[in-house]
Amino acid sequence: MQLAIGSYTATSAAGIGLAEMSESISARRTGLRRNDLEACDLDTWIGRVEGVESVMLPGNLEHLQSRNNQLAWLGLQQDNLLEHVDDLKLRIGVDRIGVVIGTSTSSIGRTEEAYTQLLPTEELPEEYRQPQVHTLHSPGIFVAAAAGLTGPSMTISTACSSSAKVFASAARWIRHGLVDAVLVGGVDSLCNSILYGFNSLELISANQCRPFDRRRDGINIGEACGFAIVAKEGVLPDAHLSLAGYGESADAYHMAHPHPEGRGAVIAIDRALKRAGLTADSIDYVNLHGTATPANDRIESRVLAQRFKQRTLASSSKAWTGHALGAAGILESVIALEAVKNGVVPGTLNCEETDPEVEFQVITDNVEADVRYAVSNSFGFGGNNAALIFGRLDG
Amino acid sequence: MAKVDLAGVGIWSEAFSGWEQFCAVAGGETVEVDTKLQPELISPRERRRAPQFVKMAVEVMDQACSMAQVERASVATVFASGMGDMQITDYMCRTLAIMPRTLSPTKFHNSVHNAATGYWSIATGSNAPANAVSGYEHSGGVALLEGAIQAVEENIPVLVAVQEAAAPKPFKSVYDSDHPLAIALLLAPRGTCSSPVCELGVGISTDAPSKIQSASFAGVDLERNFAAEILDLLLAIADGGNNRISLRISPLASLSIDVTTAGDGSRAVG
Repeated sequence: MQLAIGSYTATSAAGIGLAEMSESISARRTGLRRNDLEACDLDTWIGRVEGVESVMLPGNLEHLQSRNNQLAWLGLQQDNLLEHVDDLKLRIGVDRIGVVIGTSTSSIGRTEEAYTQLLPTEELPEEYRQPQVHTLHSPGIFVAAAAGLTGPSMTISTACSSSAKVFASAARWIRHGLVDAVLVGGVDSLCNSILYGFNSLELISANQCRPFDRRRDGINIGEACGFAIVAKEGVLPDAHLSLAGYGESADAYHMAHPHPEGRGAVIAIDRALKRAGLTADSIDYVNLHGTATPANDRIESRVLAQRFKQRTLASSSKAWTGHALGAAGILESVIALEAVKNGVVPGTLNCEETDPEVEFQVITDNVEADVRYAVSNSFGFGGNNAALIFGRLDG
Repeated sequence: MAKVDLAGVGIWSEAFSGWEQFCAVAGGETVEVDTKLQPELISPRERRRAPQFVKMAVEVMDQACSMAQVERASVATVFASGMGDMQITDYMCRTLAIMPRTLSPTKFHNSVHNAATGYWSIATGSNAPANAVSGYEHSGGVALLEGAIQAVEENIPVLVAVQEAAAPKPFKSVYDSDHPLAIALLLAPRGTCSSPVCELGVGISTDAPSKIQSASFAGVDLERNFAAEILDLLLAIADGGNNRISLRISPLASLSIDVTTAGDGSRAVG
C-alpha cells in the first residue's frame, strides 16, 4: 500500500522554506558558516538558520519557549503548511489526524541555559520551570498545539534516524486505521550538548564538510526542521507524490560506530524495497546519509555497492545544510521528494576530489533526471537505521 | 482496535523486581529486592559503560522475554520515557556550564534516547527495528499504542519498555519523582505465543481515564512517576479476569485497553 504525501516544507541553513532551499541547491551555494555562536568556542562550521532566536511564539505557545520550538514555529509558517493542515481538518476531522515528530535532543538547549543559572538551592530559575520543554516530547507537544491537532501524538528520538522513522510509524497508524492522515516532521536545533558531544568524539571538522571527498575530515552540525502531510490514498485530492516504502533495522554492532560492512543499513534498504515491491534497479536516486566522516562515507558506499548499479544517482546534501541530526531524516526526505517532483538531483557539494577508496561513485554536479523513485538513507547512534522510498502517487 | 497477546511482563523498582514480586507486593506481602541492577544479558565490558537507565531497561526487557520464552533477537523494540536519562542530562548540562571541552565521549553517545534499544540489539544480536519514543507524561500509553499497532501491522513480536528515572535536584521543579520505575510488556501477534498472560485490545477512545489506584508499594511512592500509569494495567492483569483500563495519551485522546484473560488467570499470578 502506498501513501500519499501532500504538502511539505523544510527550513535549514540552505533556506527558509522550499523556494530558498531550491535556489541554494541550483546555485550550489552552501548554507554553512564559520561557527559564530556566542556560547560555543569550537573551531568549526555550522549550519545555523538565521534569526531563529528572535522568532516570537504566539501567546498560547509562550510557555513552550525554546530555540527548538522557535525553529519549529518558523518552519511551520513556510509553504502554507498550516493552511493545508487546516483544510485537512475540515475535510476529514481533527480526530482523524495524528502527529509524529522526530528529534535527537528536543529542547535540551533550554535545559543547558537553565543550568548556567541554577539557583543556590540547585533549582531551575523561575522562567525555566517549563515542564513541557524539558521533555523529549517537547517538539511533539509544540507541533500538535501549533497546528491545533488533538489526536494521538508521539515524538521519536533515535538519534540521526529520528525523523526518517516518523514515516514508518505514520504508515502503520494509517494502515491500521488509527487515523487517516499524520503530520510528520522533525526538529533539531544547535545546542552545546551536540557540538561539544561530537567534538568529544573527534568527529567535528574545522572546515566545511566534504562528503565523499578524499580529504573529508568530519561533520558540521546544522539545525533544521521539516514537515509533511502523509495520508491514506484518496484523502488528498491534489497529491502527486507517495511514500512507497520504508525499512527500519538495528546494527547490533556498536553504540557509536557503524557496522563495517553496513549490515544494518543494507537490511533497512532491503526491507524498504520489499515493502515497496521494488528491486534496487528501479531506484533512480539515493540521497545518502553522507555525513563526511571518513567511516560513514566509506561504509555507506560499500552499502550502495552491495545493492545498486552505478546507473543509480547518489549524493549527499550535507554540505548545504550541515548534519541536522534528528531533523536530517525529514530534511533529506524533502530533498528526495523535490528531486522526484522537479527532476533536479543535487550533486554532492564540496566533493572536489572523490575518494578513490569509496566503492560507489557519487555525483558531484547537479543533474536533471527523471526520478521515479528516490531513496533517503538515515543512520544513527545506537546502530539505528532507516531507509525510505518516495515516488509518484500513480507509480 | 489492535488485538495482541501479552506474552511476557518485566518490572523493576526499589520495591520489587520481576512479575512475581510485583504481584506479591501488590497483595501486601513482603519481599527481598535486589536493587543493584546487573543485567547478565549485557556483556561485562558493555555493562561497565552502560548507564543505570539502560540497565533498568535491559533488566525488564530480559525479564519479559524470559517469561515469554521467546527468541530475544526476533523481537522489535519500542523504548519510551517522558524525561529520558535525567542523570546523563544532569551530567551533560553541568559539564557544559563549566568545562564543555571535558565532556565524556562515552556519556555523550550514551545520552541518545535510543541507548537502551542500542545496547539491547548489541547484546541480543538483533537486527529487528528498534524505536525510542516519548509522549511526556503519557509515554506509557503512547508506547503501548505504537507497540500494539506495530505487532499487528508488521506481524512481529514487539517488546515495549516504559520507564522513568528519579529526578536529580534541578529537574524536581518540573518532574517531582524520587523513585525509578521500569516496565516491559512483550506484545505478540495473536496466536503466535504458546501461553499468553492475557489478550490486550488497544484502541483510541473518548472514555475518561481510569481512576489511578494507589501507587505506593512497600513504602516506595511511585505516584508521581510517569511510568506508574501502566501500573493500573498491571494490577488488572494480576487480578485475572476481564477488565477495561483507560489511559490519557494526549490532551483530548484516551487509550482504552481491554484485558481478556483466558481460563482462571492462574498463569497471571504465578
